[in-house]
Amino acid sequence: MLDALIVKQRARFRIECNVVVPSGEACGLFGASGAGKSTTLACIAGTEAPDDGYVRLGGETLFPPQRPLHERSIGYLTQDANMFPHLRVSDNVRFGLTNGARDNEAWVAQLRERLALESIWNQPAHAISGGQARRVALARMLARKPALVLLDEPFSGLDRHLVRELLTTLADWQRELRFTMLVVDHEAEILERLCDRAIVLEEGQVVQDARWDILHATPATPLLAQLLAPL
Amino acid sequence: MRPLGLSHFLKRNLARAGALLFGIVVLYPLVGLIVPVGSWRWEGSGAFDAARVSIGLTAIAMVVVVALGTPMALYAARCSARERLAWQAVLLVSVLLPPLALGILISLAFGQHGLGLFLEQFGLSMTNTPLAFVITQVYVSIGYYVLGAIAALDSVPRPLELQAALLGHTPWSVFWRITFPIARLGFAVALSLAWVRALTEFGAVVITAYYPAGLPVAIWTNLENFGLPAVMPLLIVFLITALPLPWLAHLLAQRRSTQRA
Repeated sequence: MLDALIVKQRARFRIECNVVVPSGEACGLFGASGAGKSTTLACIAGTEAPDDGYVRLGGETLFPPQRPLHERSIGYLTQDANMFPHLRVSDNVRFGLTNGARDNEAWVAQLRERLALESIWNQPAHAISGGQARRVALARMLARKPALVLLDEPFSGLDRHLVRELLTTLADWQRELRFTMLVVDHEAEILERLCDRAIVLEEGQVVQDARWDILHATPATPLLAQLLAPL
Repeated sequence: MRPLGLSHFLKRNLARAGALLFGIVVLYPLVGLIVPVGSWRWEGSGAFDAARVSIGLTAIAMVVVVALGTPMALYAARCSARERLAWQAVLLVSVLLPPLALGILISLAFGQHGLGLFLEQFGLSMTNTPLAFVITQVYVSIGYYVLGAIAALDSVPRPLELQAALLGHTPWSVFWRITFPIARLGFAVALSLAWVRALTEFGAVVITAYYPAGLPVAIWTNLENFGLPAVMPLLIVFLITALPLPWLAHLLAQRRSTQRA
């Protein structure tokens, strides 16, 4: 289970966000741009340090004190694919695998096939397109089978066809592998495809934490109602 | 599309001719290599001995520079902006100190009134010894290396290092597998700058280590004692040892940045 309280002072407001996601479940972190969603996620991932609060994952305390990144079983995917440009696609995907065990290779082969990476498998990472890089980044993150997956608008800027494909694949794997997942997006449509429930942030504060049907039926604030309203 | 006119053609070629003239002016001193100065005197010029001293001791100095400078560069590149500025200010002092002044300061600081007495207990002397030569070279070049290495590290996007760490790699592994391979050309440029700075140093070395004579000091003494025919062989060896490494490293780095852009 992920249990976190993130307290962090920003320029305009203070983030105080409590996130609880039971093991194997997926939860969305929803809100307008600049609500503090990405900062909250970065604090849980450990790439930023909270000012106060705690982060616990599966009985282990990740903060405080700040546990080193390499000791966390966390997969973190952001808007940037963050490819390692000097490595081939295959080396990028295998980067997080600590040993060459056969089950790893079988899993890597599955990732390669499901994410259609065969044609670029041996190419240098700096030579692939943005959409391909997102798929490679997803494969690289999942190759380690992390206990917690954090996604920060990982599909922004991609064409709808690819987004639909990736959402389906990711949702399937989440159900199959039962990893805990927290997804940030400002598009409800994307979150609803991946999670049954969402925590809604406004200026760093949790204003509602509920299933999507409840959020649609009784939005806690006018801003949330606007964000959920059809275009 | 409107065809480019004659005036555009003239302007462009005029600019190119100007650039060519600039290049000729910059390279003009190399004409000195073919100016007749009498028969070059290889024998007794001490060219190879001086080259051996310069290259051998500069290589040792570079090992020290890399061993001490790389951790410093890593720290300075990753600390807060304010602290980084303070470290850069310190490094700039070593870069900007006039060589002659640095040589005098080193001989005083490591002399009988400074660390000299302590060093003598271990049989080490900081006057006219290989140790003095190496330490002086380290002082004159380490600032260049560290500042260059910081710039090289800046070229590595921080999110890549964080991603590598989240993929289970220790800081040491992240450095060797991500940071260094991406920044390696920048490190090479920094090292080549430090190399040429140390190898060609005259002002500071002539104060602290007149002996063993490296290339710059040997050139000076040959010029004083035997004139230009005895200097030219040394000059050739000097240029061959000093020029190609940084020249190539810079060109490679430029080519890579052009390819990326």
